Amino acid sequence: MRTRILGFVALGAVVAMTVVGLFVVPADLNQGDAQRIMYPHVASAWVGYLSFGVTALAGIGWLWRRDRRFDAVALAAAEIGVMFTAFAIWGGMMWGRPIWGVFWQWEDPRLVTTALLLALYVGYLLFRRLTDDPERRATRAAIVGIVAAIDIPIVHFSVEWWRGLHQTATIGSPDRVLNPSAPMQFVATLLGTLAAFTLAWAYLMIRRYQLARAEAQREESRRVERVMSARTAEPAR
Amino acid sequence: MTDAAFVISAYAVIIGGLALYSAVLWRRLSAARRDDEAR
Amino acid sequence: MNALRLELRVAVAVARKDALAELRGRHATVSTLFFAAIVLLLFGFALGPDAARLAAAAPGFLWLAVVFAGILAVNRLHLLETDDDAMEQLALYPVSRRAIYAGKALGGFAVMLLIGIVVLGAVGILFAVDIASAWLPLSTAVVLGALGVAAVGTFYAGLTVRLRAREVMLPLLMLPVLAPLLLGAVKATTAAIAGDPFGELGAWLQLMAAFDLVMLVAGAATYGFLLED
Repeated sequence: MRTRILGFVALGAVVAMTVVGLFVVPADLNQGDAQRIMYPHVASAWVGYLSFGVTALAGIGWLWRRDRRFDAVALAAAEIGVMFTAFAIWGGMMWGRPIWGVFWQWEDPRLVTTALLLALYVGYLLFRRLTDDPERRATRAAIVGIVAAIDIPIVHFSVEWWRGLHQTATIGSPDRVLNPSAPMQFVATLLGTLAAFTLAWAYLMIRRYQLARAEAQREESRRVERVMSARTAEPAR
Repeated sequence: MTDAAFVISAYAVIIGGLALYSAVLWRRLSAARRDDEAR
Repeated sequence: MNALRLELRVAVAVARKDALAELRGRHATVSTLFFAAIVLLLFGFALGPDAARLAAAAPGFLWLAVVFAGILAVNRLHLLETDDDAMEQLALYPVSRRAIYAGKALGGFAVMLLIGIVVLGAVGILFAVDIASAWLPLSTAVVLGALGVAAVGTFYAGLTVRLRAREVMLPLLMLPVLAPLLLGAVKATTAAIAGDPFGELGAWLQLMAAFDLVMLVAGAATYGFLLED
């Protein structure tokens, strides 16, 4: 089964990059060991944003084609995206404490934007729970997902602007890892972790999608049963 | 808390969280598959 | 051209319907204004009594009060539709969904504008902020802010109006989306009051305008799906 192979490859990649990030790659001269957190932190953020984009696109797919499979993709992407986004924020906080001295920094546009992303995602998932009818739920969720996705670039842009007015050039900037002129080992480790997390995302997406489809079908057959039993019960009157 | 503790904390939650989610997902999927076969 | 005029008339008709219903005795606008005033008072209590600190934070208070009051206002405006399944009847009319959205958003804008003006005045008084000298940029900010809250609020209120846990879902969905508008509004207000020392006022107002445009278009485009069910 191809998915199973993907799973093992992803597992191997994640384990390998964890080892590399923790032990193999050298520590940063300025940030020390704390900089190691950047690898899974950035990778998680990347996957979180990717997943969110998938949620929005799947929503568009549902509105366009009315194929329930799109909604299953949207649900899977939202749930997994929440997880990775939460990881990203946690990583950001764990990095921030040793580097900035505080767990949170309002001047970091990525952290603030990611926090809002999390809020939008969680709202989406909670919102889904409030509708029982599958088709209505899919439609409403799609709308919420699309509008939220439209909001994210605006948020990012505005927070960048916000930060721009308070120039605090510090060594303690997460940008160091993303800078293409950074040492090769850092870049390689980052890209490797990115790839590993993306593989893990893909695997989890497939499994979560399968689960969503299985549950949708079970829900559907239960409805049919209820309708059937209601019909057969009537003649008794 | 030393730097190392923060690093460990970050990796533990992220990697551990991935493992936990995968495990729960796996279990739910197996249960759903069993139900399907039973029907 | 005729089709567009028809849409405009529909929008105005929807807005008028809401306005009349409001005026006929729901008193929602009055209580919403009082709510905003109470919020301002509480801000004063929580962060006072140092006048300088309050004056510096006043733009934030202003817009937070407007946003919170806005949640209540759009919620009430849409509650009108739950009576007698008015929403379903509205959806049955053979008019474009955009026009209905525009109408509801227009009504919302009128209410938000009123709230914005009143809160602006209250903030000037309560926190000793000089509003008069910057009245033009401040009015612009209020108009743009009111429009943004109305656009977003109308959309989400329509979406949540028949859901359980509506009271918490509406702010939960609306507030994160409003974050950039809030940021722009507070920054523009701060700059305007200070006389725009860094020349950033224009940029923030543009951000607000861009936000409003994007959200109005998104809301109009998707409102049809909302009414469908």
